[in-house]
Amino acid sequence: MAKIHQGEDTTSAKQKRTLGKLLSGLDSQRFLWPAVAFVGVFLILPFLWTVYLSMTEYGGLGEPNFVGFANYSRLVQDPILIRSLVNTLLWVIGSLVLPVGVGLLVAVLTFNLAGGFFYRLPVLLPYALSGAAVGVLWSFMLESEGAINGILAAVGLETLTRDWLLAAPLNTLSMILASSWQATGVSLVLFLVGLQAIPREPIEAARVDGAQGWALFWNITLPLLRPMTIVVIGLALVNSLKVFDIIWVMTQGGPSRSSETLAVTMYRQTFLLFEYGYGSAIAVLLSVIVVLASWLYLRRALRSV
Amino acid sequence: MRRALRHGIALAFAVLWAFPLYLVVINAATPAEEYAEKPFWALPSSFGLWENAVTAWQAAELGQSVGSTLLYAVGGGGAAVLLAASAAFAIIGLRIRYGFAWFMLLYAGTIFPFQMYLAPLFNAYSKVGLYDTRVGLLLIYTAITIPFAVFVLRNHFSGIPRELLESARIDGAASWTVLSRIYLPLSTNALAAVFVFQFTFIWNDLLFGLTLSRSAEVRPIMTALAVLQGQYASTSLPAVLAGALVASIPTFVLFLALQKLFVQAIAGVEK
Repeated sequence: MAKIHQGEDTTSAKQKRTLGKLLSGLDSQRFLWPAVAFVGVFLILPFLWTVYLSMTEYGGLGEPNFVGFANYSRLVQDPILIRSLVNTLLWVIGSLVLPVGVGLLVAVLTFNLAGGFFYRLPVLLPYALSGAAVGVLWSFMLESEGAINGILAAVGLETLTRDWLLAAPLNTLSMILASSWQATGVSLVLFLVGLQAIPREPIEAARVDGAQGWALFWNITLPLLRPMTIVVIGLALVNSLKVFDIIWVMTQGGPSRSSETLAVTMYRQTFLLFEYGYGSAIAVLLSVIVVLASWLYLRRALRSV
Repeated sequence: MRRALRHGIALAFAVLWAFPLYLVVINAATPAEEYAEKPFWALPSSFGLWENAVTAWQAAELGQSVGSTLLYAVGGGGAAVLLAASAAFAIIGLRIRYGFAWFMLLYAGTIFPFQMYLAPLFNAYSKVGLYDTRVGLLLIYTAITIPFAVFVLRNHFSGIPRELLESARIDGAASWTVLSRIYLPLSTNALAAVFVFQFTFIWNDLLFGLTLSRSAEVRPIMTALAVLQGQYASTSLPAVLAGALVASIPTFVLFLALQKLFVQAIAGVEK
C-alpha cells in the first residue's frame, strides 16, 4: 500500500515537471508560430489543396467534382505533355552544358589572370537582370525583324538568318541561349569562390611532377573543385526544371504551344483555359519530377564525394 | 604563349557577353523616329534613353508599379527576415521540441515549384477579396521568402556560442531579450544579406504578380513589364527596352554595391 502511494507521489511530481516543461515549451514556441502560420496558410495549405484539386474537375465556379485519377490518365495521353517534357528536357541539358560549362571555363581561364576582373565583368552583369527583363531584351535580339537577323543581313550572312522564335525546337534552343547569357554569371561566381578555396599545395606538387594545361585541370583542379561543382549543377538542374519567366515574356509557350515547358503548360491550362483540376495534375507531376531529380542527384553526388 | 591564349579566349567571351548589352543600351537610347532607319549597331544621333523610359513609364503606368513593388520588396522581405529570425531562434536558441521537424516543415516551401501554390491561392484570394490587392501580394511575398531566410539564419544562429544565451538566462533575461539583445545584433550581416537577397527575389518576381493581380496600381514591376512587352513591342521597341533597363536599376545597384565586397574577397586571394 505504502509502495503504491509512493509511486503515486512520484507520478504527480513528474506530471508537475512535465507541465512546467510544456508551459516553457509553449513560451518558446511563440517565437516559431508566426513563421509557421505564414508558411502553413500560404504555402502548405495551397500545396495540399493542389494535390486534392488534381483529382477533381474544377472550372473555378461551384464545387470541385472528384474524378479520381482521370486527370492523370488524360495527362499521359496528351500530346502537349510529350512536347512539354521534351522542351523541359532540352532546358535541363542546355542549362547543364551552357551556363555551367561556360561559367567553369571562364572561371578557370580568368582565375589568377592579370585583368581577369574585366573579362569577367560582362559575364557577371546580366545576372543582375530579372528573367522578365532578359526576356524583353532577347526578344529584341531574336525576333524575325530583330537585331541578330538585322546584323547578319548587314554583314552579308543572309543565309544564316532564321525565324529564331517561330518553330520548335529552334525557339526553345534560342531561349536557352538567352537564359544562359543571364545565368552564366552565377556559375562563374560560384566556381571562382570554389577555385579560391582550393589549397595550392596539390597543384604545385602536380606542376613539379610535370602536369600542366589540360592534364592539370582534368586530373587535379576539377576533382578539387568537386564540392562547388555539385552545388552549381544542382542549382542549374532545379532552376531549369522550373523555368517560366523568360519563356512567358518571349513566346508565352507558342507559337501553337511549341515552346511550352511543364511550368508554362501548367499556367496556361490553369489560368487561360480554366482547367484547375487538370492544371493541378500538371503541377503535381512537375513537383514529383523536381523532387525526384534533386533527390537522385544529391544521393549520387553526395555518395561519391 | 599559353597566357596569350588564355587572354584571347577570355576576351572572346567578354565580347560575346558585352555585345548584346551594348545593342540593348544603344537601342533603348534611340529616339523612336530614328529606330526604323538606323542600323542596330550604330549609335543614335541623340541620347533618348530618358524620353523612351518616360514613354514606357506612361504607357504601362510603371510609376504605380514601382511604388507597389517597393512596398512588396521592402515590406515582404523585411517581415520575412524578422519572422524567420524569430523561428530560427526558437529552433536553435530555445531548442524547442522537434526543432528539426519544424525546420523541415518551414524549409519545404522552397523545394516545390511555385506552380503547386498558384491555383488554390488564386481561388482563395478571389473568394476572400484579396485578389488584386496590395495586402494580398504582400502576404504571399512574405510567406514565400520565409523558408530560405529560415535556412540561412538557422545556420548562422548555430554559430553563436550558447554561453552567451546561458549567461543572459542566469541574469534573468527573457527569451525576447536574448533574441533582440544577443542574437539579432550578432547577425546584422547575415540579416542584411538575406534581406537583400529576398528584396531582389521579390523585385524580380513575375509569376505571383501575373496570377494574383490585374490592375496597374497593384501589379508588380516585372508583371507590368511583361504586359508592356506584349502590347508595345511592335509599336515602340526602344521604349520597351528602356522600360526593362529602368526596371532593373534597383537590383543592378544592389548587385554593384555587393560586387565591391565580392571583389575584395577575390582580390585578397588572387595574389
